Amino acid sequence: MAKRMELNEVEVWDGNMAAAQALRQADVDIVAAYPITPSTPIVQNYSKFLADGYVDGDFIMVESEHSAMSGCVAASAAGVRAATATSSQGFALMVEVLYQASGMRLPIVLTVVNRALAAPLNVNGDHSDMYLGRDAGWINLCSYNPQEAYDLTLMAFRIGEDLRVRLPVMVHQDGFLCSHTAQNVRPLQDEEAREFVGEFKPVNSMLDVANPVTHGVQTEEDWHFEHKARQHHDLMNSVPVIKEVFAEFKERTGREYDLVYKYKMDDADVAIVALGTTVESARVAADRMREQGIKAGVVSFRVLRPFPFNEIVEALGDVKAIAAMDRSAPGGTFGMLFNEISAALMAKGKHPVVLNYIYGLGGRDTTIQMLEEVYKQLDECAKAGEAKYPLQQFIGLRGPKLSFY
Amino acid sequence: MARDMKHIDVEEIKDLGWDELIPGAALFSFKEPVEDVVEVPMEERPYAPTNSHEWQVGDWRVEKPVFNRDLCIDCQFCWVFCPDISILSRDKKMIGVIYEHCKGCGICVEVCPTNPKSLLMFPEHMDNEEALKQWPQKEEKKKD
Amino acid sequence: MLEIRWHSRAGQGAVTGAKGLADVVANTGKYVQAFAFYGSAKRGAAMTAYNRVDDKPILNHEKFMRPDYVLVIDPGLTYTADITANEKEDTKYIITTHLSKEELIKSQPKLEGKEVYVVDCMQISLDTIGRAIPNTPMLGALMKVSGMFDLEYFQNAMRKVLSKFPQKIIDANMKAIERAYNEVR
Repeated sequence: MAKRMELNEVEVWDGNMAAAQALRQADVDIVAAYPITPSTPIVQNYSKFLADGYVDGDFIMVESEHSAMSGCVAASAAGVRAATATSSQGFALMVEVLYQASGMRLPIVLTVVNRALAAPLNVNGDHSDMYLGRDAGWINLCSYNPQEAYDLTLMAFRIGEDLRVRLPVMVHQDGFLCSHTAQNVRPLQDEEAREFVGEFKPVNSMLDVANPVTHGVQTEEDWHFEHKARQHHDLMNSVPVIKEVFAEFKERTGREYDLVYKYKMDDADVAIVALGTTVESARVAADRMREQGIKAGVVSFRVLRPFPFNEIVEALGDVKAIAAMDRSAPGGTFGMLFNEISAALMAKGKHPVVLNYIYGLGGRDTTIQMLEEVYKQLDECAKAGEAKYPLQQFIGLRGPKLSFY
Repeated sequence: MARDMKHIDVEEIKDLGWDELIPGAALFSFKEPVEDVVEVPMEERPYAPTNSHEWQVGDWRVEKPVFNRDLCIDCQFCWVFCPDISILSRDKKMIGVIYEHCKGCGICVEVCPTNPKSLLMFPEHMDNEEALKQWPQKEEKKKD
Repeated sequence: MLEIRWHSRAGQGAVTGAKGLADVVANTGKYVQAFAFYGSAKRGAAMTAYNRVDDKPILNHEKFMRPDYVLVIDPGLTYTADITANEKEDTKYIITTHLSKEELIKSQPKLEGKEVYVVDCMQISLDTIGRAIPNTPMLGALMKVSGMFDLEYFQNAMRKVLSKFPQKIIDANMKAIERAYNEVR
């Protein structure tokens, strides 16, 4: 039996410690991991908790991230709770197996500490890895600070393991800006967290030898399409379960989560849509804008997949100008947020000005001043009723201004 | 709702819609739990429709392996190598070929170590009695 | 919001110091942030660590900071690092050195006219802890200069933060904090 860890009402944890504590309290049976900056401390902390007797589980040190996720797939199919952590290149190496995990409907939890993808080699935070894996059939939850990284990691188990869902879940946090930034975190005590997460419910467990089962089967044009349809259907229909879990968590902790995050949107004329720690920095910038008479708001995705199509349009309301801020090299097109938000707005018959800002790549500092500049540009567009700036701009970049369209 | 894939008719499977599939494409071996499966003979196991036992490849065959009990030394090579588990063996004694599952690949003949071989391929239409009559003699060792 | 920037060498404990300070401050009900710039930091490389303290939740995640306090825990960095970067008019400097304040300012003229405090954290940590880990003495000096907490309260709080260490090390750190508190000028 695992030892209980006495926690303070307020702990000062960085995002990595917060995620590691959530894995410990969730009684993860198997963590198969290959460490990579900046997510290393998550699995390092978990293995220390294990060695010190604070968790009953097993830590499998594997030879690559591909194997780390493969180990989780095997453990989950065998019928136990499995989780791991990764970043950047490690995430990229894991991608093949991410699709296996979701296709096999295994409720693995992956804590992703977002980091840039090489080349050039860079250990700092941006959202390239998140964008790489967003279509892998996983539920994607996004945190903006260590408290949320902790909360969402606990909730990820409940959501993914629900028998109506049975899908793997990623919890994203910003590399360094969240993962290595210590802030106030109010944890649940061990027994509260355990009660909330609950026992793992094995489904078609491979270790049930009286009921042999084959996982990871081959289907061709005969059945592949139907299985993918079923998977998409269940991912799309995970929304009510996600909401239920958010509601129960609020009841226990008072902390409120929703599919889409909104700040001062009720009367907003202009809005920044971003992900990660930038969401909170944008709140600071929005408050300063409001002091100057610009009605600024912030919108973000708490749940990036399943995509909250209706809720995002509703959240943006009747704002006149929107900045879709993508922290990932767009690779020859607009950023993901720009594309997805624009499509959702157009489908719902709304036509605000939408500008795409590429920012913060490789951990480039995103200052409040920079975000204020974005709001000022949006304000000009809102007043003019048309785009007064190029549709795609790189900001915080050295050298001549880079923009398109 | 997912259908109960343990108890569905084999024939019904091809008509299933996406909404009736088991999430994750898991395939079941048995309709009921089977404790200590190695002690339960094949013909007594409660095969589920998704078990390959219920799916036969015997009609793929153009030539069939015929078994000659008189020559067999029960080495079990054919049992080990058969890709379709169509060699029937009991208590390490070779009994014969399950023709419903044999697709006629000839691997059992290839791996048979006796001289002459105890398994040989014959035309599909030939009676096994007739085949046994045509069995070749022992081959002399070739001298260099 | 109170903002603090640490100048240190990787391995001297600036991150631990910043997190320790955050721990102590958080216990008083305030909101804290502690972070650092790493890069591919190797032991001995110059680095910076940061604290933010506020009465309300801290939402600002920019790395950019106009510090209220600059804490220099390695004597050499006064000369090789940009310790006055993004300073405010009233930024206070607490600098590890064996020199007097006058000698220090003479040796680094860009500190002239600024509110500078000196304390020899390096010597204090060598004397008390036995190793050049100048982070806890710097916190003692910060307590004196800022008046954030009185010595006894801070020592008690730090005892909890350091509780995973052997008693001998905790005691040595307490001495280091006390000496720096009394010796900072």
